[in-house]
Amino acid sequence: MEPQNDAQILKDCSPYVKFAKLDELLALGRANSLWPLTFGLACCAIEMMAAGASRFDLARFGAEVFRPSPRQADLMIVAGTVNKKMALAVKTLYDQMAEPKWVIAMGNCAISGGPFVFPGQYAVIEGVDKLFPVDVYIPGCPPRPEALIEGLLKLEEKLTGKRRWPVVTPQ
Amino acid sequence: MTTAEAIPAGTGRETFVLNLGPQHPATHGVLRVKMTMDGEYVARAEPVCGYIHRMQEKMGENRTYAQFLPNTSRIDYLSAMTYTHAFVGAIERAAKLTVPPRAEYIRVITSELNRISSHLVWWGAFLLDLGGFTPLLYAFDDREKILDLLEGITGSRLTYSYYRIGGLYNDVDDTFVKGTRQFVAQMRPRLKMYRELVTENIILRKRLIGIGPIRAELCRKYGATGPVIRGSGVGYDVRKIEPYSVYPEMDFIAPAFPEGDSMARYLVRMEEMAQSLRIIEQGLDKLPAGPVMAEKVPRVLKLPAGDYCYAVEAARGRFAVRIVSDGKEIPYRVKLRSPSLSNLSLFEEASRGMLLPDALALMGSLDLVIPDIDR
Amino acid sequence: MAGGDPAMNAKLPPSIPFQPVDYAAKGCHFEAVIAPDKVVEAAALLDGAGFVLDTITGVDWMAEGQMEVIYDFFRLEEALRVAVRARIPRDNPEIATISGVYPGANWHERETHDFFGIRFAGHPDLTPFLLPEDATYHPLRKDFVA
Repeated sequence: MEPQNDAQILKDCSPYVKFAKLDELLALGRANSLWPLTFGLACCAIEMMAAGASRFDLARFGAEVFRPSPRQADLMIVAGTVNKKMALAVKTLYDQMAEPKWVIAMGNCAISGGPFVFPGQYAVIEGVDKLFPVDVYIPGCPPRPEALIEGLLKLEEKLTGKRRWPVVTPQ
Repeated sequence: MTTAEAIPAGTGRETFVLNLGPQHPATHGVLRVKMTMDGEYVARAEPVCGYIHRMQEKMGENRTYAQFLPNTSRIDYLSAMTYTHAFVGAIERAAKLTVPPRAEYIRVITSELNRISSHLVWWGAFLLDLGGFTPLLYAFDDREKILDLLEGITGSRLTYSYYRIGGLYNDVDDTFVKGTRQFVAQMRPRLKMYRELVTENIILRKRLIGIGPIRAELCRKYGATGPVIRGSGVGYDVRKIEPYSVYPEMDFIAPAFPEGDSMARYLVRMEEMAQSLRIIEQGLDKLPAGPVMAEKVPRVLKLPAGDYCYAVEAARGRFAVRIVSDGKEIPYRVKLRSPSLSNLSLFEEASRGMLLPDALALMGSLDLVIPDIDR
Repeated sequence: MAGGDPAMNAKLPPSIPFQPVDYAAKGCHFEAVIAPDKVVEAAALLDGAGFVLDTITGVDWMAEGQMEVIYDFFRLEEALRVAVRARIPRDNPEIATISGVYPGANWHERETHDFFGIRFAGHPDLTPFLLPEDATYHPLRKDFVA
């Protein structure tokens, strides 16, 4: 057999064999199959359901599998107000999720307590990041389903380093 | 039918406490139910509320009347329009403001659109609880059409804050009127499809007929209203019995089914959607021209001292507001009478001795929105 | 009672001192102010007459040193809303429970206790309902500080 040029071998094989870092492959896999925990607390939950339903369709991004059990989910979308009675349950659910896990704070209540913060308030936790770290914040009251999808794309960008689709700039 | 006490000691049988919630796909919000179970049978189901208590009544004492208006949309976010209606209605009663007829008709049309969208969410989520996923997608598809219409006039999809003290903040345009007529025209065949494919589905019928019977007397003792009491044969509907706005001019029926089981409550809501379409059509036909805001609404609104009440028929039942005023621009007390609280309060008595899946079907048929209970 | 619609009058239990109220302005047809030890009797009479318990409201009249408990009732067959009001001293707010007559009052009374600290004597389970289980504060009191 003739001695073959390594570079030539790589070039010939390139349509059939791809090389990548394992980290990048894992990140791509995780980003494209984020499984959210069914954690709708209040009004934002309805917009989350609408995002998972027919018009906005989270299934396109691999995220339609809402798991009721935190053991089977890797994304917690906190959709709604967290109050002091619920805070322990939220923290327990977060602790029960296995690593790697991410948190999206959806809506003003999850970001900072929302419209329910007033001097003398006694029940609302002012932002879920007071309980555990949050990766993406989606403002709105409630945010549109498109905003939730944008938040998901931002999380994917955080995982993979690349945005799935370019940002559309208005003409 | 067993209770924990009825099981003799030393027989090797015992009850256990199963905790349902507060995070659970079937509880429609953050409701916790401590279920004492005897095997698969519910010995005692004790709802624990307060996990989404957002101090709405306390905020009523810290906000002016106009500032509290956005809160009303968030109490029961699925019938946001009707809740705002009750609040502004009480203030208009107190301040003796005359809402122009065009605004009244638009209020009724938007409230009925809201009722249909609320019942669609109930229907999709209820069938999801029973195990059928597809109706949710169809229901949300129809609901998106309603939301497009309402977004065109209010700017918001869920928490509208559309009504103002004295009328509306924005008039409707031709796009809304034409779009609503188109929606009504295409919704009727959809309801027919839902009846044929879902309501007459043998699995649904086996899951709901005879399940969770609630007598009318139980509803009366607990104050349960809306489709819960209409599913027990009593035709009580605030729009008919204590009419408000322009409902007396609309020709519709408040459907009641006598059986009292979960199927009866299901049929009440399906029929209500059809009746709401009739009301919307009549509202569009009768829509008068004119302003949509009352004249001379004071910028700084102070109500005379005293109590003012207003009740509306929300999607879940009777919602009433009591404003206690002491003459200032901030109310002294705002009391919100929540339909879901009264509807859920009979769950403990009604679910004794039921199988767990049947108890969940009963809970789904009560159509609860938990932030409405916790306020 | 003086005045009011005779057809409505006929539905009201006669021993409760109902007074007619301007419905168009206030949204209520009749109101009665009674002594706190008469609430169970009034509830039983209204139950016998077929009324439905709407809700129980607490109001903190701090300046007057009193708390008020308002019981709202309505009828299913026709428009007839009545309110029964009772005032109790603010420094020791206690009133009998009507949950023996109307089981639906159980939760309403728990909520009123949560918000105001009013004790409903004879209530089977006066634990916090909307507040956390270990809450000892009563947030809707006018002197409440978070």
